Amino acid sequence: MPQNEVVQDLGLDQYKYHFITEDEPVFRSGRGLNDRVVREISAQKEEPAWMLDFRLRALAIYNAKPMPTWGGDLSNLEAVLDQIHFYVRPQEKMERSWDDVPVNIKDTFEKLGIPEAEQKILAGVGAQYESEMVYHSLKEEWESQGVIFDSIEDGLKNHPELFREHFGTVIPSADNKFSAMNSAVWSGGSFVYIPKGVELRTPLQAYFRVNQEQMGQFERTLIIADEGSKAHYIEGCTAPVYSTESFHSGVIEIVVKGGAHFRYTTIQNWSNNMYNLVTQRARVHENATMEWLDGNLGSKLTMKYPSCFLVGEGAHGSILSIAYAGNGQHQDTGGKVVHAAPNTSSQIVSKSISKGTGRSTYRGLCKVYEGSRHARSNVECDALLINDTSRTDTYPYIEIEEQEANVGHEATVSKVGEEQLFYLMSRGLSEEEAMALIVRGFIEPIAKLLPLEYAVELNRLIELEMEGSVG
Amino acid sequence: MMSESATTLLRAPEESGGPLPGLDRNAVEALAASGPPWLGQRRLEAWRVYEETPMPTTKEEEWRYTDLSKTLRLDELRLLPREEREFAPAGAPAPLTGSMRSDRAAAGHVVELDGSVAHTDLEEEVAREGVVLASLARAVEVFPEILEAQLATEALPADSGKFQALNAALWTDGVLLYVPRGVHVELPIHVTRWFSAPGRAIFTRTLIVAEEGSRVSFVDEALSADFPAQTLVSSAVEVFARRGAHVQFVSLQRMGRGAFHLSQQRTLADADAALDTLNVSFGASVARVDLNAELRGAGAHSDMLGLCFGEADQHFDHNTSQDHGAPHTRSDLLYKAALDEAARAIFRGVIRVHPGAQQTDAYQTNRNLILSPDARAESLPNLEIEADDVRCSHGATVGQLDEEHLFYLMSRGLTRAQAERLVVTGFLGEVLSRLPLGGVVEKVSGIIEERLRA
Repeated sequence: MPQNEVVQDLGLDQYKYHFITEDEPVFRSGRGLNDRVVREISAQKEEPAWMLDFRLRALAIYNAKPMPTWGGDLSNLEAVLDQIHFYVRPQEKMERSWDDVPVNIKDTFEKLGIPEAEQKILAGVGAQYESEMVYHSLKEEWESQGVIFDSIEDGLKNHPELFREHFGTVIPSADNKFSAMNSAVWSGGSFVYIPKGVELRTPLQAYFRVNQEQMGQFERTLIIADEGSKAHYIEGCTAPVYSTESFHSGVIEIVVKGGAHFRYTTIQNWSNNMYNLVTQRARVHENATMEWLDGNLGSKLTMKYPSCFLVGEGAHGSILSIAYAGNGQHQDTGGKVVHAAPNTSSQIVSKSISKGTGRSTYRGLCKVYEGSRHARSNVECDALLINDTSRTDTYPYIEIEEQEANVGHEATVSKVGEEQLFYLMSRGLSEEEAMALIVRGFIEPIAKLLPLEYAVELNRLIELEMEGSVG
Repeated sequence: MMSESATTLLRAPEESGGPLPGLDRNAVEALAASGPPWLGQRRLEAWRVYEETPMPTTKEEEWRYTDLSKTLRLDELRLLPREEREFAPAGAPAPLTGSMRSDRAAAGHVVELDGSVAHTDLEEEVAREGVVLASLARAVEVFPEILEAQLATEALPADSGKFQALNAALWTDGVLLYVPRGVHVELPIHVTRWFSAPGRAIFTRTLIVAEEGSRVSFVDEALSADFPAQTLVSSAVEVFARRGAHVQFVSLQRMGRGAFHLSQQRTLADADAALDTLNVSFGASVARVDLNAELRGAGAHSDMLGLCFGEADQHFDHNTSQDHGAPHTRSDLLYKAALDEAARAIFRGVIRVHPGAQQTDAYQTNRNLILSPDARAESLPNLEIEADDVRCSHGATVGQLDEEHLFYLMSRGLTRAQAERLVVTGFLGEVLSRLPLGGVVEKVSGIIEERLRA
């Protein structure tokens, strides 16, 4: 397959991982979305009847809901959706050990720098290749602790009751048009259960990529962190550059039960033809903590607002968001916190960088329902503009129904200061190096929270993106 | 607040037979026929825009928290044609005369009764310098060139919104203030509007033109008793500050319950102009203020202040925008609301820095103080930045009285009620401390204190 044909000449906005590995899907649905496609997906996966019903109901909701008119420009999306395959199943089957993973997939991971990270540091990896988990290993001690880390399909097959009890309860199909779409055609993703009181010291990782031209990716993840447990889940995405527009719409549901502590980290770096429309939400029970760490670097348009619904007394939600919008890209991201119980607290920190004709938008909600006494929330947004053609927006929604609540929002917009640049250049740095250093300093508060290998990768990406940013 | 009982402050319903005019095309045609052709055409065109523009719903961002289908009953409202009235202080309602008593230090006064100007006066010296303060209806005949060029054209044309169009079609009177080049009007101009006709819709306009290098302050106060039936007051305000002019515009809204107050304001600041505004909202059942400040000349700046104190089931919706269209412009907005009982305040503000508006400084702060378990506040401070060399920030908070502050004051011997009053006064006082208009500051402080004692 040809490589690098569509890479732009400039170093700045080209995609870092623009390679395509050859593969042959076993089953590929027809283009477009309809009743027949949904039935085929469900049949292929040998699902129980309730799931087929769930999918068909979601399809009806999807068809009934209008395209959103807010957020990014979705005017070309209908045409894109008509062209995509809503389901592609690769020939590979679930693998349990690294040695069994097919060579071409290993190649892909090799180029992504995955093996070192996976083999040396990480104990277990659920890697999603195309629409299904193809590689999956779990450290033995976790299995002995009762941790479930499966593909979403196996979660449904092997743990039907646990699955059905929670599936679709955090994000109902009718939440929005794209959660309805995902509910109709979901395929791939993870099912995670952390039993009561279990604390995982090494993160769970799912590394996946979209690799079939014009294929829609509808990953669905369901995570249940039982009472008093503690875990960190990391999902990263990279995708090759394609010549036509592509589409990704995930749904991630997390239930954080009493006293549990869960962190979900995503660094998404889609190719810049991707529509990335994701719904991710956690329901956080009493004295539990949920942390979203969300990085969005690639895509044509990303609309993604990780949410914490604080339903139990003393629940805490934290959202750290970082967005980078290069030429022609729009990152419409942010976070939502909903306080529905007393003594809940939340924090949103957002950092965005817009370069060239890029546009970063912070869109957030802080809602405090009546009765959520002593709720506290703080939102901070910082935007950095690199060029005079760059754009940034901030749209926070603050809705307070409770008297005894304290909520604050602060945002600043700035450009890279001439003085900062001058100082660094007087110390012998080139303008480009100085710019990269300033941008790294800007994102440092978030980067330092990432696992080492992600922080390194993020810094490498920022450096690459800053090339040619001056003059 | 009102010393007389509400009923004696209301107009008796008309005895004369025949249906009263509603908000319809016939009414617009009658108004159009009564004035010069240019104005008639403008009214008819505005009505066409009004009819073509759908009624805003909560699906629209700007109306997300004010549901007009539940709060505004346009079909039930009847128009009140312009009347020739004389203002005689002796027989005037006490709230009106009471309020005017503190406005004596003024360069000029206008009194408007139920949407018809009943009195204007202007210092002789100021008039000699060419300053014009006039009833808008009269200005159509006397100063047609000022109005034809600037009334509902650049600032609030009919196509700027459904209610802007409705006002442009149906306005009956209002105020024209024109300040010639280089003229400084030292004392403020005071406009006092009194509304007493329940069930009516009244449309008034204000046009302020401050020519190059001139200076003027304008204080616009709206008063009424409580209404037994919904009463709509629609006010359109257009302010032009030409190069280097300094203009202060203050709106003081103290209407009674039953009033639906709609105020659409647009301020246009040319190069090096200073155009500052203060919107004080105390009254009405529903009050909606749309304020768009455009900084369209290099070096222009606007301070935008707002203050709101709500109780009972009052609903306040402030919708502001700061449009920076030229380099080296500055805007600074501070809106504060204190909300008691079941009052609700919405603040939606946007800073837009358009491409090329480099070296812009734009700030926006919204603070809400919730004084009761049933009160609520919504805050949507937005930024849209399309230039890179800018300094922009915004902040919003919603909070309650700080127990530590109260404790400190109580430890100094104040009762809890006194301490609370002091903290609220201090909270709202921050807005007033930024307004260099002594008379207005005193008046508003007095109203706040009176209200806190009640």
